[in-house]
Amino acid sequence: MHSKQERYGDFQGDIKKETSLIDSLIKKSLKFLQDHNLIKEFSHYQNKGKKYFMAVEFEPSAEVTGGAWYSNGSLDMDFIATVKVSCLMCIKQLKVATVEGIAEFFDKTHVFHNKCFSEKIGEIVQTLVLDNEVMEVKSTGMGEYAGIPFGALCYKLVKKQGGVPRVGALTSIPCGVCPRIHECTPDGIISPVTCVYYTKWLDF
Amino acid sequence: MVTQYGIKLAVSLISAHFGEIVAKVCCCLLQKGTLTLSDITRYTELPSQQAKNCLLVLIQHNCVQAFAIAKEGFGMSTRAITHYSVVYENILHRLRFSKFLTIVSEELDKECEELLEGLLQHGRLTLEQIMLRAMSKQNEGTSVYQDVVRTNFVRLVNLRYVERCPTSEPFLAPNSEEEAPSIGKRGPKSAKLGLSETIEQRAMKAASPSEAKRFLIVTDIGANVTEAKTGASMTNLMLGEKRKHKALETDGSGAATICEKEVLWRVNFEEFVYQLRKKVCASNVRSRLDDGASIILNAMLDATKSEENLKSENTVSLTMDAIFEEVIKSEDGRTMTLDHVRAGLTQLGCHPFIRDGEEYFSVDIKNIIEIAQNEEVESIMLKRYGDDAYRMFRLLSKTGHLVETEKISDMAFVERKTACKILYNLWKDGYLHMEKIISHGSTQYQFLLWKVNKHLIKEQVLDEMCHAVLNLMQRMAYELGKEHEILKLPREKRIGVLGKRFDRIRKVKILLDSSLLKLDDAIMLFSCF
Repeated sequence: MHSKQERYGDFQGDIKKETSLIDSLIKKSLKFLQDHNLIKEFSHYQNKGKKYFMAVEFEPSAEVTGGAWYSNGSLDMDFIATVKVSCLMCIKQLKVATVEGIAEFFDKTHVFHNKCFSEKIGEIVQTLVLDNEVMEVKSTGMGEYAGIPFGALCYKLVKKQGGVPRVGALTSIPCGVCPRIHECTPDGIISPVTCVYYTKWLDF
Repeated sequence: MVTQYGIKLAVSLISAHFGEIVAKVCCCLLQKGTLTLSDITRYTELPSQQAKNCLLVLIQHNCVQAFAIAKEGFGMSTRAITHYSVVYENILHRLRFSKFLTIVSEELDKECEELLEGLLQHGRLTLEQIMLRAMSKQNEGTSVYQDVVRTNFVRLVNLRYVERCPTSEPFLAPNSEEEAPSIGKRGPKSAKLGLSETIEQRAMKAASPSEAKRFLIVTDIGANVTEAKTGASMTNLMLGEKRKHKALETDGSGAATICEKEVLWRVNFEEFVYQLRKKVCASNVRSRLDDGASIILNAMLDATKSEENLKSENTVSLTMDAIFEEVIKSEDGRTMTLDHVRAGLTQLGCHPFIRDGEEYFSVDIKNIIEIAQNEEVESIMLKRYGDDAYRMFRLLSKTGHLVETEKISDMAFVERKTACKILYNLWKDGYLHMEKIISHGSTQYQFLLWKVNKHLIKEQVLDEMCHAVLNLMQRMAYELGKEHEILKLPREKRIGVLGKRFDRIRKVKILLDSSLLKLDDAIMLFSCF
């Protein structure tokens, strides 16, 4: 275990294959090593059922743990939410920012203990784009883009009316969000005349 | 694009406006496609005369187009058979009459609005009929008033809000290949597959007057329509402006009489759709970007209109000077500098290209419409399936190609199990396309790949919207029917419980009406623009 696959760990099945020992002996040995704090157990972030082992002095690689956004094999939602909010605040303050600009801002203001890698910040900014919180724009090098090279990809907050996202025409009425819309017919058991969602909506 | 609920909505509109029998004929045409009169009587089981009358009503209101095709019989000479084809879009436009009237009242005046209202109510009219109608409303028949009506009508025609009606029954020569009326195969499928145009499209093309004739109008300023009607000789005829030559005057007066008495006019829906498309694009750009970008877009669209590209996917290409010239025509545009305009064009995603040493810009209208459509679909995802689904859907929509489950879960920061569940739900409801790939080797792996099928989604969302409009209309009828006595109450009796009920039904009506208008805007976004 010391000699190879230092960053990936060993899968229990692979150990059996390589050592040609019987199951019970392997289990016993692994337990002994764990008890003496020589090896540690961890799971793959995509396959939590599989047990991996590794010497205590090594850290599992990002391919196995899932990287910075994972904790104990699951997505660290609290941490992700914190980074998202920080990114949003940074973009709000800078008005228009590149990923490198955000990472630099974090490093300068010491928002996080560790150094911020623009690659990781880029992943978070991409989810903010998917959340429709920020939008991708290309720098023109003029006005608010001054200081950002021409053509560089940058991000700015999405304009929202009254701070709330725009509601579509269909979703602003009960039919747009109705789980039973496919069973709704004019004379059926579920119909717009007897619809409880409509009654609630039109309750003035 | 005609969907299942689209047909139901069209039938319901016809039924509400013209009654059940006309709706039956319309439903038959919508479901079975183009038919002959004998087919219609066979399918609807209506007497021939009744079916014919229903068709006449539908033709009068521009909902049906007739055309004749030459058919060869066994051992018989070739004869022309009349077919009837329903114009689905024109039926749905009946929902939008109030919007069309608002456009005219905003751009022109109340009198023009009344003229247009008459045409919308009656479908197609001659100028003489329009004038008689206007006079009966005003109780005024002086030739001065008639001239006002004529002038207003010419304004409507010049702005292309009113056009000459298409030929009532164009004759189509048989194609070299055997071509049957496209029963049950309407619109997009055949168009998408790149097939040759359908017989209905050929008929519409053949029926529509040429561009030169479509808005051609000759009127007699000073002529009295009531006298003309009784056959009195028309003196003092003038063609728009006074003419010097008597010979010309006589020729012109003949043309003007024909134009007033025989030529049928109707509302040009295409122009109104263009105006509404312009409004939607400008409001989308304003809410997404800013007022400046919206002003520039409006200016470029105005320039495009003059080039007669009503349905074009891009605006015309204009130089910076030409754009600036258009921008400063509007009051808000006068505050803008060249730098503002340049920045606005960049915001709109205009990439200049050089021609003859000059920079040209053009705005991608199709892209703006697509963004507005995506916003509508994404809003459904957010409300129905939640934040995670919204993010995943936007990711797939942006990518535009097949993406593997694991990659989606990684990029959208959603746990794999949850991602699988959401993707499956979206696929089950018809919003996603899924492909399974199995890798064969020592161990078998199965990969699921997902993709957004924009065409299918558009069709599905449109169908759901038509369903929602039908539901809104039905609920409105139910609510108004339930409270019809309360609505008739005089003001002094609207107190206490009755007053509360009156207030409630008033609010309900406003909410349902505004939702209906908003939803119709969305339907137009998906089907007309």
